[in-house]
Amino acid sequence: MNGGASYQLQDFIPFTIEIYVRLLERLNETLWPLHLITLTLGMAVVWLALTNRTRLACLFIAPIWTFVAVAFFMQHYAELNWAGGYIGYVFFAQAMLLLVISLSGKGIHTMPQQKPAVFLGGVDKVAVLIGIAIALAGLIALPLLAPLTTGASWQQAEVFGIHADPTAITTLGLLLIMLRGWVLWLSMIIPACWLLISALTLWALDASGAIALIAIQATGLIGLMAASAPKRKYFIKS
Amino acid sequence: MNNRFTRRQSLKLLGASVAASLLPSLPLFGQSMAALSAGEHSQNTSSDGLYQKRYGKSDKTLPVIGMGTWRTFNVGRDPQLLNARMEVVRAFFQLGGGLIDSSPMYGSAPDVMGYALQQLGIPSRLFSAEKVWSPAGGSTREQVDDLQSRWKVPQFDLVQVHNLTDWREHLAELRDMKAEGKIGYIGITTSHGRRHREIEQIMAAGDIDFVQLTYNITQRRAESRLLPLAEEQGIAVIANRPYNGGSLIKALKRRGETLPEWAQAECGCTTWADFLLKYIVSHPGITCVIPATTQLEHLQENMRAGHHPMPSASNRQRMVRYIESL
Repeated sequence: MNGGASYQLQDFIPFTIEIYVRLLERLNETLWPLHLITLTLGMAVVWLALTNRTRLACLFIAPIWTFVAVAFFMQHYAELNWAGGYIGYVFFAQAMLLLVISLSGKGIHTMPQQKPAVFLGGVDKVAVLIGIAIALAGLIALPLLAPLTTGASWQQAEVFGIHADPTAITTLGLLLIMLRGWVLWLSMIIPACWLLISALTLWALDASGAIALIAIQATGLIGLMAASAPKRKYFIKS
Repeated sequence: MNNRFTRRQSLKLLGASVAASLLPSLPLFGQSMAALSAGEHSQNTSSDGLYQKRYGKSDKTLPVIGMGTWRTFNVGRDPQLLNARMEVVRAFFQLGGGLIDSSPMYGSAPDVMGYALQQLGIPSRLFSAEKVWSPAGGSTREQVDDLQSRWKVPQFDLVQVHNLTDWREHLAELRDMKAEGKIGYIGITTSHGRRHREIEQIMAAGDIDFVQLTYNITQRRAESRLLPLAEEQGIAVIANRPYNGGSLIKALKRRGETLPEWAQAECGCTTWADFLLKYIVSHPGITCVIPATTQLEHLQENMRAGHHPMPSASNRQRMVRYIESL
């Protein structure tokens, strides 16, 4: 048996899994019943995305990212990790990016007068279907994950618009539905980076959610490849 | 004078003879031998049975089991966890603990210590150990002042330079503060076996009281030079990462390894915590070890490891061979 003297991933995580789970719980205790509003908003944004109201969808997600930046990172996560405040600013930057996309219309996949994104053909359809699956995973599956698979309390459920992971996952799916070209790549950087950080954190803490996050990231990457594959021209305003 | 033995006297004598013949195999006897082998000159036992060692050049002693706060005490402002950690601190002192170590790098851990001490009062046995760390911002004095207000203590017993960050500047300032009576002792820290050559140079200069380094049954690099040098210079040594960040004890438990019988019979080990901690604190160069925990049950296990008997030098070698064979 050899201990090894080099740094391990867990040496960079300044809290235990118990403390992180309590952070999730505390947010739920503090913000309930705001969850009902954020979940309704999330479902509405998926519907807007599928019906090609992309600019409106981006406009609705931007304040969600701002809220998570403040409530999750700056007010809670930063208590445990000095980097939390900075990550909050990064989430705020993503909110600004979504706002700019909404206002400028850059990178938007289809326009309202076209048929809904889900009815597209070829590799685009693959990207859109993956986007739908990921968005619904963030909105519905992730809140159920811990309570149903590990028997954790419902107070530990992670919810879109309240916690960082489901917000990033749902957004990742929405972006695959709505955007194309370099704007899609650009707008996926922050959600994907956060999910990677979160997966590594959970991995270091021996938490089961790490596998789910890595699987979602891998699926998102396939979706991104499909969205970036050569295809017949759609209406892309850039 | 009647020299004849009465029946009661005969029975007493017989009993004493039997006890004497069994003595070498009793744990109690092993304990006293182990104490001698583990550096008798600097050790004793407190009223609660916790093994104590003298530190530095003074006659003062510290319980060999202290407590670390990395990760475990960084709970933010969560009232539930704040109270849970306060209970850990309360139990630590009730079980005879003394030294608690923290750092500005540990997030809210200094604030959590402040909460616990405010609720419990400051026990006389507290030996508060903090650190200065350049990325935390502010000068050495500003950092110490800030940390004292976070701990809610009037003065730290020990302030160390965290991971040798800007150690020349910090140590110079800490020396002045010690001379002014604003802190009790000064020291330096490292972990993961890093920068031992630099640590050795600072220790050889002889103007620090404490050094904190990684020492456990699988990471014994400090044995070759730093621990003998510490004994020679009268520098107290705090051992961090006794369970190698938890992975050591978790691996033993996960593999379902059982304690060898001889460890129980000769060293009084009833748990793996006993085995791993007794190995560390029985080294004559080690003053105390600082396991971190969030659970009262684990704290009790840790504190039990500070009780006699301690492994002898030969038992320590046997412990290493046993772990390496797994």
